[in-house]
Amino acid sequence: MRILIVTILMLNASAYRALAAEPAGKPLTLDEVRKAGRAKSLFLKEAEKKIEPTPAIPAANLDHFQKSIAPVLAQKCVACHGPNSTMANLRIDRLNPDLLAGPDVDRWRGIYKVLSNSEMPPEDAVEYRLADADRQNVVEWLSEEMSKASIARRNRSEHSSFRRMTKYEYNYALQDLLGLPYPIANSLPPETASEDGFKNSSDLLQMSTMQFEAYRELGLKAFQRVTVSGERPTPVTYIISMQEVMTNLKVDKNQRFNVTGETDSNHRNRSHLFNRTTGEGILFSEGNAVPKPGEVAGHTPDVSPVVVVLPRSNELKLNLDRFLPDEGMLRVRIRAGRTTNQPNEYASLRLIFSAHTSNNANFSQVVSQRDLPVTASADKPEFIEFDIPLSEIQRNPFRKLETTFPRRDEFLHIRNESNAPGGKDPLRVVIDYIEVSAPHFDQWPPQSHLNIFFKSENKSNEQVYGQEVLTRFLERAWRRPVAADEVGPYMDLFAKYRPDFDTFEGAMLEVLATALAAPEFLYLTQRSSAENAGNDKTGKPETISDLELASRLSFFLWSSLPDQELLELARKGTLKNPAVLNSQVDRMLADPRAERFGQHFAEQWLGLDGMGSVTHINKDDPLGEAMRQEPIAFFREVLYSNSSVMDFLHSDYAVVNERLAQHYGIPGVFGPHFRKVPIMTETHRGGILTAAGMLSMNSDGTDSHPLKRGVWLLERILQDPPPPPPANVPKVDLTDPRILQMTLKERIADHRSKAACISCHSRIDPWGIAFENYDALGAWRTNIKNKPVDATSVLFNKQELAGVDGLKRYLLADRQDQFAKAMVHKMSAYALGRPLTFADHRDVESLTVQFRKQGDLLADLIHLVVNSKLFRSK
Amino acid sequence: MNNKPVTIDRRDFLRGAGVALALPWLESLVLAKSSAPSVTPKRFLSVYHPDGVGLPLKSDPAWNDWCWFPRGGEKDFQLTKVLDVLEPLRSEITIYSGLSHPAARKVHGHSNADQYLTGADIGGEGPYKNSISVDQAIAEHAGEFTRHASMVMSTNGGIGGPRGAQTQSYNREGRPIPAMNRPKQIFDTLFVTSGKDAHARLARSKSALDLLIANTKSLEKSLSNQDRQTLKQYLDAVRDTEVKLEKAQKWIDTPVPVIDTSKLHLEATPEEARLYFQTMYELIYLAFLSDSTRVATFQLGRENGEGPHDLLSKAVGLNGAHGLTHAVKQTGGWKNLGTYNRYQAEEFGRFAQRLKDTPEPTGNGNMLDNTFAMHGSASSSFHLSRNYPIISAGGKNLGFTNGRYLKFGKGNEDNQAGAGIDTDAGWQAEARVEEEPLAKLFTTLLQRFGVETDTFAGMKGTLNRV
Repeated sequence: MRILIVTILMLNASAYRALAAEPAGKPLTLDEVRKAGRAKSLFLKEAEKKIEPTPAIPAANLDHFQKSIAPVLAQKCVACHGPNSTMANLRIDRLNPDLLAGPDVDRWRGIYKVLSNSEMPPEDAVEYRLADADRQNVVEWLSEEMSKASIARRNRSEHSSFRRMTKYEYNYALQDLLGLPYPIANSLPPETASEDGFKNSSDLLQMSTMQFEAYRELGLKAFQRVTVSGERPTPVTYIISMQEVMTNLKVDKNQRFNVTGETDSNHRNRSHLFNRTTGEGILFSEGNAVPKPGEVAGHTPDVSPVVVVLPRSNELKLNLDRFLPDEGMLRVRIRAGRTTNQPNEYASLRLIFSAHTSNNANFSQVVSQRDLPVTASADKPEFIEFDIPLSEIQRNPFRKLETTFPRRDEFLHIRNESNAPGGKDPLRVVIDYIEVSAPHFDQWPPQSHLNIFFKSENKSNEQVYGQEVLTRFLERAWRRPVAADEVGPYMDLFAKYRPDFDTFEGAMLEVLATALAAPEFLYLTQRSSAENAGNDKTGKPETISDLELASRLSFFLWSSLPDQELLELARKGTLKNPAVLNSQVDRMLADPRAERFGQHFAEQWLGLDGMGSVTHINKDDPLGEAMRQEPIAFFREVLYSNSSVMDFLHSDYAVVNERLAQHYGIPGVFGPHFRKVPIMTETHRGGILTAAGMLSMNSDGTDSHPLKRGVWLLERILQDPPPPPPANVPKVDLTDPRILQMTLKERIADHRSKAACISCHSRIDPWGIAFENYDALGAWRTNIKNKPVDATSVLFNKQELAGVDGLKRYLLADRQDQFAKAMVHKMSAYALGRPLTFADHRDVESLTVQFRKQGDLLADLIHLVVNSKLFRSK
Repeated sequence: MNNKPVTIDRRDFLRGAGVALALPWLESLVLAKSSAPSVTPKRFLSVYHPDGVGLPLKSDPAWNDWCWFPRGGEKDFQLTKVLDVLEPLRSEITIYSGLSHPAARKVHGHSNADQYLTGADIGGEGPYKNSISVDQAIAEHAGEFTRHASMVMSTNGGIGGPRGAQTQSYNREGRPIPAMNRPKQIFDTLFVTSGKDAHARLARSKSALDLLIANTKSLEKSLSNQDRQTLKQYLDAVRDTEVKLEKAQKWIDTPVPVIDTSKLHLEATPEEARLYFQTMYELIYLAFLSDSTRVATFQLGRENGEGPHDLLSKAVGLNGAHGLTHAVKQTGGWKNLGTYNRYQAEEFGRFAQRLKDTPEPTGNGNMLDNTFAMHGSASSSFHLSRNYPIISAGGKNLGFTNGRYLKFGKGNEDNQAGAGIDTDAGWQAEARVEEEPLAKLFTTLLQRFGVETDTFAGMKGTLNRV
């Protein structure tokens, strides 16, 4: 296949000008621009071409270079990039034109980029203007040579996908393998992100002694969390009936009120007990509870007229004293209802755990994984259940003291998170009955225990049963069939351990934990056939095995181990069958575990960790978290509806929750969950470029930061990272009164006008300036300090951008190919867990052709990547 | 052997200074002392801060107050506003100029946190190889006396990436040692015992490691050469663990000291800059006091900003520590950077003062006399890995004479080389002044710690005058 026979690359700018020059009053819609932009795709033109066989031994086309290319370069480029002047530190006359064998491929790729984006020769250098035919000639030659060079290099595997799991993958793997309902691997060191932003990049995933030790410790800890021994423990149980509480409560008169009384409205805006029959109320937000011996949770008493009423953002704080066990699940059952039922209002419950051990020594922590909505009516309240792992939350370290100081008690707060407005009778949550018990077990022994220590007729024979337990577990943990001689050494270990333990299970767990510290668990292996092992120069890249394919697939889409179905198909050898593979990808994407893919890919691709360093959003404001979640929710929306990735550049919808909708000025969105809503042009949103999180991350805390925004766009969206700053760059001197008077944009322009700065900044700043209508929180603005916002800018290739609308128009009109390729590149790098190199260039190009042909659909891209040669190769 | 019981006075002091030790501590300290060697411990601490210090030109109005380096001579030096917080400790500190690692002098300062304690030629690009850091070289020697050979800490935790270290410590193979960043984790490592049947567990661990090594070797057989290199890291980790097990064997029967945590803010994060800073120093102090370790490193953030540590400057009301170095030419810029550096010095000084106020349990002077604590960065001026700004405190009993400003090298006595720059022209320019290799100070240190060597990082010789 010939790649990219370029005909109109250099016409990018002028083509767009044509678009922009539509008759006044009838500008194209972004949707029309997108359609027109797609029609210009060179990848699509490529897709129509016949595929020519690749020559068996590709060779550099040096003749053509000498005859047709070198003279053009000599005439148009060497003046600035030659013996007399070496701008950008480039001597084009000294480059080796043999891309297959020579050392200058990266330089040539840079030249290809600036020529095809019409960035060179500079627009204003009239005498060096490149004729279209010449530009086409050079770009075509480079395109072909790069393609051949990529093939030549493919077989010299520079980066391997052999790597250990990331911290988050390890966490998920433990959860999926053991049926552990919460993550525990917090003691592992953080990962470092690759240049592409990915944390699963093989070259950065190191292994250290401390890490190894952490794995051993965590493995055992996980086993201890999911298995049990001895008799079922008697849970500590608190039963809190509001009827009883109200009856027994001794309070001052001024805490009491009646619904008819005059203090009523004041009181009713705070947490209180209320008798719905009599209308009597008592202010009540803190109470003590003691466990009832012999009591068991799980009752459903008759609904009581006496309830605790929680207005919005109010809570009930229960002092549970010091009786909760160290470990096990804390089950909290709350029977709750809502007082009104307006569809645009929601109420939900959140649990907070706290202690206050001495003056100024306190902590509190949200322990519920998410707020649970209250949907039942106040008349027919329903139970809402929370499970909190006691071993994983911050506990009061003094709870076991013999003395009473520092204070030993622990508190559970039940809080109403709601959007209820004020008013006479606003939405409130009422609760008539609460149960708190721990440790809670759904069954005894729990299923997670039975998954490891399953029923067997050989259970009485430790040797035989041990072999069974080990074999079954190793095959799941190591994702492959395990031979008897591999199980043997683990049985030997068991024999050594057994005398130290009272029970079979106790000894076996330590043996199993060892298997979780083995490289077969921790690493994504890729074995070579016996004759190829240890030999890297075998010619064609080797294919991974079916079982390795199952693992690669599951780590890609689930960030975790393959399940039994995938392993079964791999074992039968049918997984690689395209029909099977595609149906498995569909099944995996429909599985809840695929949410991890959306989260981790979007987070890493877009660099959402940057939100962690944003300090100009109040920590209590849900806006920050909403900003972080929006791009993930948007990504999932595009993925699950299999929409075009061009939606990331612009969409006529947004994916928002109430807080973010409020920030964007989108009416009619209620509740904390994200959902797709249509938006108007005046909202100035759509896509992820204008997501508030992106704009806030790339701010300086008080104002926009065009440079950061430009760099972000180039790195994350266009896959065109700017070079590091060159030497001898003078700084903007803010002590200069002339500069102090300038607006930010004027300062940037001033800075850019200096010769030393222009080369980089003119490639970065204009992209960022287009976002000037968005402030440091990504809110739309039309004025900065009473001056109208000027968000127009001119790109290096003289393309004018009229604000963010202009930017989107330009990207959709002329940069679709670049963005599509960037998506393919990023997705492939993430799927493979390794950096892509020039050797992968050709594979990425042909994947992009396919991707564009199929309509740029995100879910399709997953299928394309999974079915690609890249994905099957080592 | 000195078995004098700990006096109440000292306990009161500890309480007053922010740490109350629970009763069992008294007992265990006595116990630890009775089992400890009669030889006074020698301790080492290195605190690293990224992004360098303020170095204005003399002609700049900010020079008078906000140049990091002192003025004047070896003994009669005057501290500027940046370091004047150390004036009360004047006789206990030494300030150095003219020291740097030759291999790093023309490498961008952001790359060089990796090599501050190693002196390795890691370069600015291409293949990466580091070498052992001086703390680990000391720990190889001093580590056998304590439960933990060393404590490696940083605000960011982990190891970071090549040329973007988040740890100051590297092992013999040049592999980074992951730093702990959460006070709770450090505390637990130091003071929380993990069970009584440790002995049997150790034996089991040994068997498990043998099995894992066998597993690894079997897997290795079916891997490519490249993948074998990756797996070798794992194998090294297992072997390192074996070594640690052998050492742990010795410590199994020695109880950990019991420390009351009620005044320690173990959940503090870098966002709560002051609290976090002080808690980390407090933990180092406690680790030394309890002789849990004699070697510690602490990296305050990573080079080139980004991340929670960048908020440490919030302690003095400034945003973005890294940004301060870029903003020196803005109004108040030198002052802001100086204020943040001053704050770092203040915390370091508080720590040194704590050591000074604490009598050595063996009776040999105070703890500071037996501790060489250094504080510095691999950059002075903007991105410039030359003329490292280094302070050391203590070490009298290791042969260090303090109360001095030691200028090394030639041609830069007034610290004007590279001063006032805020561009990369600085580090890219040829070095026109002579500086001494910092490795010479490290060799001196190693010798004082009893290590027989005359080179470090390939540099021969010791540093004169220290």
